[in-house]
Amino acid sequence: MIAVIRSEWLKLRTTSIPWLLSGIALVLTGLLILLYFVNHGDGGPEHKGGFGPPDPSVPHTVQQLRNLVGRGVNIYVFALLLGVLIITVEFRHKTVTTSFLVTPRRPLFVAGKLLIAAISGAALALVVLAGTVIGGGIALSAKGGSFSALAHQIGPVLPGMVLVYALFAVLGVGVGSLLTNQVAAIVVCLGWFLIVENIIGGIWTGTVRWLPSGAAQAAANVSAGGNQQIGLFSWWQGSILILLYGLAFAAIGSLVLTRRDIT
Amino acid sequence: MPSAIEVRSLAKQFGPVRAVDDLTFEVAEGRVTGFLGPNGSGKTTTLRMLLGLVSVTQGSATFGGKRYVELDHPVRHVGAALEATSFHPTRRAEDHLKSVALASKIPLTRVEETLEMVGLTEVARRRVGKFSLGMRQRLQLATALLGDPEILILDEPANGLDPQGILWLRTFIRHQASLGHAVLVSSHLLSEMEETVDDVVIISQGRLVLQTNLADMASQAGTGTGMRIRTPEIDRLAAVLNAVPVAWRQTAADSLVIDGATPEWFGPFAAEHRIVLYELVNERSSLEDVFLELTQGFDAANPMGSDTGQSAPFRTPGAPS
Repeated sequence: MIAVIRSEWLKLRTTSIPWLLSGIALVLTGLLILLYFVNHGDGGPEHKGGFGPPDPSVPHTVQQLRNLVGRGVNIYVFALLLGVLIITVEFRHKTVTTSFLVTPRRPLFVAGKLLIAAISGAALALVVLAGTVIGGGIALSAKGGSFSALAHQIGPVLPGMVLVYALFAVLGVGVGSLLTNQVAAIVVCLGWFLIVENIIGGIWTGTVRWLPSGAAQAAANVSAGGNQQIGLFSWWQGSILILLYGLAFAAIGSLVLTRRDIT
Repeated sequence: MPSAIEVRSLAKQFGPVRAVDDLTFEVAEGRVTGFLGPNGSGKTTTLRMLLGLVSVTQGSATFGGKRYVELDHPVRHVGAALEATSFHPTRRAEDHLKSVALASKIPLTRVEETLEMVGLTEVARRRVGKFSLGMRQRLQLATALLGDPEILILDEPANGLDPQGILWLRTFIRHQASLGHAVLVSSHLLSEMEETVDDVVIISQGRLVLQTNLADMASQAGTGTGMRIRTPEIDRLAAVLNAVPVAWRQTAADSLVIDGATPEWFGPFAAEHRIVLYELVNERSSLEDVFLELTQGFDAANPMGSDTGQSAPFRTPGAPS
């Protein structure tokens, strides 16, 4: 298994995928932080220092700080894309021929991709989290907030982020194993998460907990204190749901791949 | 001794098309087998069925009795070089090989060794996207050799190679056979392979035309010889030729061909009649001609129509192992 992971990591890091995705994810994280401060800045008049109540535009409650650190959870779709790209890149550049010669049992090939997706998905979570803490910390300090208070919220946020990112990368591999055309897979994924889910969730609110994004919100709450949204599963139920989605797609994808002729 | 590769009644149906049909042949250890046929005759499909990339409709394709997917770490037993496009463009040559080596538990020292064997040491750290077709072919060969396999399958390896490259490839393939390895190499040009292969398997329209060894095929090629002669005195030559029992035909204003003639006969004959000659060419039908004749005149509905079809016995060598 170690051999498979080493080989798959070598293959992944010699493409532009992880670097491009982390780069875009970091830029987006920066924008999210900016947006966060702009929105909270609407709260009241500019605080001029000195004594008095804390500036309402500077996050200071535990929940506010936690929301700031956890900004990156909202872009878990990048982990999904990472998973999709990890497997579809092999078809796009026809390297799958060599991969199937090395690993002719195709379910094992998909399993290797699931493994590296989970690991690199978790790594992407750490990159995004680091970006949020550094970017958010700088912005917070500039506004006179407490960086160490922010840093204290890394612990509660980290497990949920790593979990959600790893699981969504697995889901991405599942989708990609079924839809090996890279462009088609990306379009379907983005279309689903940006459009279709919102429509379904809007019409039948009861279905939200069963949708991947609802499950993601549940899973992200792994160590969060209160404030769990009503109507969602518990964190472990949500995690299992995402995993099941991913494995179901991967299983069907493996079956389809096994019958597929590589010409 | 079992053959290295055995193909038994192999068939592949792509929708309405029977790409490969009832194909049976063997590849012996320590020998180079040319897998020949025109473009679209089913060579690549056959090789991909052997390697488990394309599913088999009927029959079997095995290595020492085992299907490719049943082999443990298959690239350590069967090295394959297929089309030259399957590399990730941003990946360095050595990283491509390392990824294969890691997954198959092949020592990483083999990466350098194989790069040196194919002459790519100096571009080992260059991205494959910048490689020429010839360099990609060499990298494919390096990939095939990585696991030091006892069987090599090469699909049109000469494509994209310059004449020097083809010469190098020939030496390389012969060397592999001398190590006792079985080599199956496909080509649509027999002339390319003429000096490389021991045995030939010829297919056309997905069916076997002929499996034989090259020596037997060469003996067929000797037929249909003639002399092509260019002379400024074509009318006088025609006149003296009409006086002897030979068949001849004029091919140009100053040239004619005499069927079945040899230089040993025609040289003294021309001297005797004091005829000036500009050119005297001994024409033999080449192996390529035989190959073309076999593959073009082949009637798929009646594969046994050729009387040489199955008559040549397949020689099993006593190869070292």
